[in-house]
Amino acid sequence: MTRPSDVKPREGELPGALYKDWVIGQEFDALPFTITKDIVQEYMSVVNAEPENYVIDGRQAAPPNVVLVYMMAVMYRKYPPQQGGIMIGNTIEFHHPIWADEDTDVVGTGRLTDKYERKGLKYIKYDVEFKTPEGALLVAVNHTSAFPN
Amino acid sequence: MTDQELQKTVKQTQALFDNYGVLNGDNDILHYDDAYAKQRGFRGTLGHGLMYTAYVCDLGAKKFGRDWHYKGRLTVKYVRGVCPGDNLVTTITADNQVHCKSQFDTTLVGSVGLA
Repeated sequence: MTRPSDVKPREGELPGALYKDWVIGQEFDALPFTITKDIVQEYMSVVNAEPENYVIDGRQAAPPNVVLVYMMAVMYRKYPPQQGGIMIGNTIEFHHPIWADEDTDVVGTGRLTDKYERKGLKYIKYDVEFKTPEGALLVAVNHTSAFPN
Repeated sequence: MTDQELQKTVKQTQALFDNYGVLNGDNDILHYDDAYAKQRGFRGTLGHGLMYTAYVCDLGAKKFGRDWHYKGRLTVKYVRGVCPGDNLVTTITADNQVHCKSQFDTTLVGSVGLA
C-alpha cells in the first residue's frame, strides 16, 4: 500500500521551489505506487462518492479519479511545494477502470509544460500520466496552479 | 447514459477538508489556517479543488456509466473558493456543462464528455 502522504513532500517541510526554479520542459521522476482496496474505500469516503455510480458489468470499480490524490506528489518530488498554492484548473481523461476489489500498481510520470506571471501570481502548468507498470494508460491530467512566489 | 440534469449537494465542513488532507498528505495551510486564509482575502479556509472535482466525477460516472472509465473527459476551472459552511451544489446540465455553486457564488465551471 502507498498512502499519498508516504510519497508527497508536505508544504513547509522543505524550502519551496520558486517561480525562478521551474523549468519548462522539465520531466518529473517516475513515481511508482500501489492503490489498495483500503485507499479506494478511504477515497470514496472523503469525496462522498456513491459506489453505485462505479459498477461496470456487475463489478465494483473505484472512482478513476482516485489517482488524483497522488498527482501533486509527482510534481512536488521535483519541485517541493510552497505554502499558499491555489488550484486553477484541470483537464482529466480516463482511459481504463481502476478496480475497487484489487490492488493496482501505478506509475506516475509528467513534465512541466508552461509557467507565466499574471496579476501578482505565478502560474505553473504540468501534465501527469498514470500508467500501469506495463505501460497501459489509466488517467492523464493537464493541471494549472498558482503560487505566491 | 442519461440526458437528464444531474445534481449533488455536499455541505462543506472543515472536517471534510481535514480528512481529504489526511489522505493526500497535503499541508497547505490555506486549507487549515482560518486566519491565514482570511489574510489572503478569502472568506475562510479553502476546500481542496480536487475534492470537489471528485463531486463532478461522481456525476460524470453516473451520467456516462461504463464509458466514463474508458473515455471520460472533464475540464474544470476553479473560479472562487469553497469554505466551511458552504452548501455546495454540483450540477451537470443536460448539455454537459458543469458548475459548482454555493449560497455565495459560483465556485467551479467546466464541462464533461466522452473522448
